[in-house]
Amino acid sequence: MKRWLALLFTIALTLPAYAHIGSKDVFEEVNAGQYKLFVTIRPPNVIPGVAAIEVRSSGAPVRSISITPTPLTGEGSKHPPTSDAMKVSTADPAFFTGSLWLMASGSWQVHFDIDGSAGTVSASVPVDAVPLSVLHMGHSLGILLALLGILLVVGIAGIVAAAVGQSRLNPGMAPGPGQRRRALAASAVTLAVTLLIVYGGYKWWNAEAIAYAGDIYQPLSLSPILRGNTLDLKIGRYDDGEHAFKTHSNDDLLPDHGHVMHLYAIRQPGMDAVFHLHPAVASDKRLRMTLPSMPPGTYRLYGDIVHANGFPETLTADLIVPPDMPPAPLSSEDASAAPPALSQGELGTTYKLPDGYTMVWDRPQELSAHTAYAFRFRLLGSGGQPAADTRPYLGMAGHAAFVKTDGTVFAHTHPEGSASMQAMMLANGGSGEMADAGSMSGMDMSTQPIAPVVEFPYGFPSPGRYRIFIQMKHANTVETGVFDAEVR
Amino acid sequence: MSTAANHPVVFASPGAGAAVQAQSARIPWYIWTGVLAITSSSIGGAWDVSWHRSIGRDTFWTPAHMAIQACGVLAGIICVWLIAQATLGHDSKLKAASVNVFGLRAPLGIFLAGWGCVAVLTSAPFDNWWHNAYGLDVKIVSPPHALLILGLRGISIGVMFLILAAMNRAAEKDEVTFKRLQALLLYVGGLAVVGQMFFVQESTWDVKLHQAAAYIAVGIGLPFFFALFSQASRSRWAATTTATVYTVFVIAEILILPLFPAHPKLGPVYNMVTHMVPAKFPILILVPAVALDLLWQRVKNWKMWQIALLSGVVFIAVLTAVEWPFANFLLSDASKNRFFGTDYFQYNSPADGFDRLRKWFDPEHGIVLYAGLLRATVYASISTWIGLLFGRWMRGVQR
Repeated sequence: MKRWLALLFTIALTLPAYAHIGSKDVFEEVNAGQYKLFVTIRPPNVIPGVAAIEVRSSGAPVRSISITPTPLTGEGSKHPPTSDAMKVSTADPAFFTGSLWLMASGSWQVHFDIDGSAGTVSASVPVDAVPLSVLHMGHSLGILLALLGILLVVGIAGIVAAAVGQSRLNPGMAPGPGQRRRALAASAVTLAVTLLIVYGGYKWWNAEAIAYAGDIYQPLSLSPILRGNTLDLKIGRYDDGEHAFKTHSNDDLLPDHGHVMHLYAIRQPGMDAVFHLHPAVASDKRLRMTLPSMPPGTYRLYGDIVHANGFPETLTADLIVPPDMPPAPLSSEDASAAPPALSQGELGTTYKLPDGYTMVWDRPQELSAHTAYAFRFRLLGSGGQPAADTRPYLGMAGHAAFVKTDGTVFAHTHPEGSASMQAMMLANGGSGEMADAGSMSGMDMSTQPIAPVVEFPYGFPSPGRYRIFIQMKHANTVETGVFDAEVR
Repeated sequence: MSTAANHPVVFASPGAGAAVQAQSARIPWYIWTGVLAITSSSIGGAWDVSWHRSIGRDTFWTPAHMAIQACGVLAGIICVWLIAQATLGHDSKLKAASVNVFGLRAPLGIFLAGWGCVAVLTSAPFDNWWHNAYGLDVKIVSPPHALLILGLRGISIGVMFLILAAMNRAAEKDEVTFKRLQALLLYVGGLAVVGQMFFVQESTWDVKLHQAAAYIAVGIGLPFFFALFSQASRSRWAATTTATVYTVFVIAEILILPLFPAHPKLGPVYNMVTHMVPAKFPILILVPAVALDLLWQRVKNWKMWQIALLSGVVFIAVLTAVEWPFANFLLSDASKNRFFGTDYFQYNSPADGFDRLRKWFDPEHGIVLYAGLLRATVYASISTWIGLLFGRWMRGVQR
């Protein structure tokens, strides 16, 4: 019950932008007047905590940037503290760093006041503050504190013994047997009382830890049921007491880019089949879809949803696709790819698509964790020329999913950055509803070709091997390019 | 029994007929250093609270934190030095006036202060880990903070015992030294009163002064200190002196802190603070303190429980009689000035809050109030009794 309340509280306070798994940092390209900023916000794992902020400027020269944190919405958003000047790097005058305290769980924004050759301009970037983990005490610190604790407990017993047995003796006198006895008794009583106090402290500490653990963010559960090729998805939560699944209403889901769920299905362990699917709302508190033909095996499901109050989540589950699943075609807005398995080695920077087109990743020389990149991908026609018939896919130049091969990281991002569109609109004076209106699938009706290039601001949260799935569309074909990244 | 423990006298003045008076009374450097350490942590504590009410955000290295940490460092220096001297050195007087704890020798106060230093030292990595595990401070009262406060109290009590033992030894033979040590003990006692009132400040906020809870909070803790210092220091005006230290300390805070600019660094900011926000005006404990001193001067021959019982009644009656109407003044426009400082509010104090509106928070009347004040009186009597008992024991401390 307490966890339920904590979650409801978190959701109520938290408007948009906590999607992704294991990838909490925000990477955003901000165009403010003539200034172009690449903003990285690294929120803390615990709340209240300190968020680290980095800005790289690449547009008009920037002299100074000051930053202010405020809640994204509500009364608190109208009463900002005084701003902090970001530090300019001595080596690189276009690189700024700073830090801000995020005091409560919820959706926050960092307000940037940019001053430079093009005057003073403001912009805001949303950031979510949710407690993600409890830090466990390391062995060495634990041993150190335990030793100091024992010293304190034994020490106070010894001091009380000295106080009772010796402190009132005239200088130079030795304590008699009576004083020794009293000292010993006082010492024993002190030891017992102190141990009781330590026990009380232990209980207090436990209560604090449990209260904190109850606030840790946990996404809703996803429960897939496959009958034939009809996939039902129940969204809800397991009640810890009874292990009963409580279905969450699907009325609460907001269409994002025209769909209530963006579902990635990635076959394990080789990541050699990937599907970007869009289940629809069914009448009975479920999402439902007919699965396209899929190679049999175990798939990891990552379902991105946005709640009505703007809070996004990524829900995960495993799905077993049997060999005899009835075949069905892939829907026109869905996408799939069948890259070589992970075991067949690392994929290169060029990915041959089934229809003769090619997707190319302009991969940086070195890939290191915790570094912000703008990863650029290009779509080439069958002759190797830039694809002239490139169209937006679900309202965007492209969609990207960065997935760590051990399953600990999943981030579905878009060309502006990793914050949700709704949150960006709210942070910059719009409303979430406006953002959603702009992200309806109707945008795909655009007949105008767009540039065959897409950039995704992103940084890998930890070293290791990642597989990257990029979706771009040309004419009526949705392409999925697949690339591997070994991150140091 | 040839200990100095059997002091039957309550509220006596020191050896007026001391045969030997030192020509040049000398207070050892380590006592001065100890007093400096406690002064530093008291100022640091007040400064830190003001910092959190004015600026909000802090680091390990704020001047307020440095002042608190200086207390641990200074106390640590005197502890290490005195333990080394008394255990390994050749100073026979020092050795004779020390106690033995697990083979180490030093005056009792040094071991208490040393224990406080270890507690402060332990709280630092614990608190750092706590922030990383459960977030930065939202609550003042967390296990690592409790350990820190306990450690600082340990240092304070240790220095008090260091002074006390030297003072008790000088009582019969060196009046000049005795008087100086007595003054230092009362000063340190005053800082302990500052600490105690700091501890109950949430219950004694000016808008809560028409609730019995404020008088209960003060009644539980304060008479203990007054009785203890009265007994231990042998001063006729111990309660008055320690209450004066508290009053001067807090008024000084109100006069000094707002001289320094400060800007809130945490939102939401409901009150645009421009200068450091000081504490609320001191509670008028000075008046009941004078009353208690006068009472104690007149009831020397009473039984301890009788003294305690009457003291509780006098303390709460006088405190209520002066503070209740004074609180009306504190909530009026007349007190909105540089001296009473009732128009200083912290940055996150909402405009429609009780503090900003200068409105009573849940005031009590009738039977609820009288029952509360009766409880406060009972607590104050018990508090006095414990203080008298322990203070009398302290008069015998020689080492």
